[in-house]
Amino acid sequence: MLSFSVTFKSGIPIYEQIVFGIKKAIISGQLKPGDSMPSVREISKELRISPITIQKAVSQLVRDNLLETRVGIGTVVSEFGIASQEKKMGLLGDDIGRMIVEARSLGITKKEFIEAIEKQWQS
Amino acid sequence: MAYAIATSNLTKSFGRNNVVQSLNLAVPYNGIYGFLGPNGAGKTTTIKMIMNILKPTSGAVTVMGKPSVELGPEQLAQIGYVSENQDMPDWMTVKYFLNYCRTMYPQWDQKFCQELLTQFDLPLHQRLRDLSRGMKMKAALISSLAYRPKLLILDEPFSGLDSLVREELISGFLEITRDQDWTILVSSHDLDEVERLADWIGIIDRAELKIQEETASLIQRFKRVEVALGSPSAATVKTPESWLRFQEDQMRVTFVESCYQPGETEKKVRELFPQESSIQVFPQTLKEIFVALARQYKISNL
Repeated sequence: MLSFSVTFKSGIPIYEQIVFGIKKAIISGQLKPGDSMPSVREISKELRISPITIQKAVSQLVRDNLLETRVGIGTVVSEFGIASQEKKMGLLGDDIGRMIVEARSLGITKKEFIEAIEKQWQS
Repeated sequence: MAYAIATSNLTKSFGRNNVVQSLNLAVPYNGIYGFLGPNGAGKTTTIKMIMNILKPTSGAVTVMGKPSVELGPEQLAQIGYVSENQDMPDWMTVKYFLNYCRTMYPQWDQKFCQELLTQFDLPLHQRLRDLSRGMKMKAALISSLAYRPKLLILDEPFSGLDSLVREELISGFLEITRDQDWTILVSSHDLDEVERLADWIGIIDRAELKIQEETASLIQRFKRVEVALGSPSAATVKTPESWLRFQEDQMRVTFVESCYQPGETEKKVRELFPQESSIQVFPQTLKEIFVALARQYKISNL
């Protein structure tokens, strides 16, 4: 069993979906700072995805300072994981930005947008 | 860049019929290459030329740096090959079959073989002829993995198998990635299966290679765009060539952008349709991308 989950959707690059799945696990506290990550090979086998794709996702998360590579231990969730609320929001920032652009282009009002979020939040 | 498999203007004709036409396949080392196309597109013929089972009419193939026509036992011991229509000695039991294969490969790893047998849960004492299609594929796969090849070539390994068996097979062949050097070429006519798996995609149709690209980049650049118009567009607009399947009616425009760049495509839409009232961008599955390309290049549908 992996310590994070990915619900795959067609049409979005797989490594992006894995990055998202791991980010979500870190934000939600499912993965905690210092937790060691399964190896690229283990993730690959479990999700049945090329290790090249997994490596790409892990490298991206290391670049984003969410994971770090420790000599002799492997990849762990970095201390940044417990980061301030502000930093957590920063993580979401890009996604929210994209959603707002989308909402505006659909002519959705701010009120409707927030209502939609609240509805999703409950579920 | 060096490639595990490279073909140059590879052509095979049977009589007047070109089954493979000027194919330039480039399969990078350390990755999974999905070789896709409808049945009869030329996938199996190409693979047989890669394996030196068929001789090209013209052009050449290099496999791990060596011309395929010179592949000998030493090179073949580095290549695992499993084909949907593989001939197997049906009268042998699974155990007898694997022991028989073992004698042919000095580097056969019996421990690994045992692990795979456990993982696949194969009945050792059943004859191959009594095995289901899925079980038989598993036996064939073990016999091609246990000597730890550096290159694994799978010709339609999933066809006719249910999704559970497919998943087991994938987990099985991903085992070769534990070694440092590995490359997998997998041919399939099932796009959904390969979308998740392949790092690279090559699409062949009617003997020719139509696309060869990294999967992530292919998926990133294709988007379906729907534009709602505030008022009907007046004149016929000349649209960019990258817009495939362009359709326009009174208040709505739809197309598949084949070179999507966030912001840029939207900008172009506003330029051509200043009366737009909303632009929506949707991801495209590999199947949808293929359909869009099929219309464009008159590729036959999968």
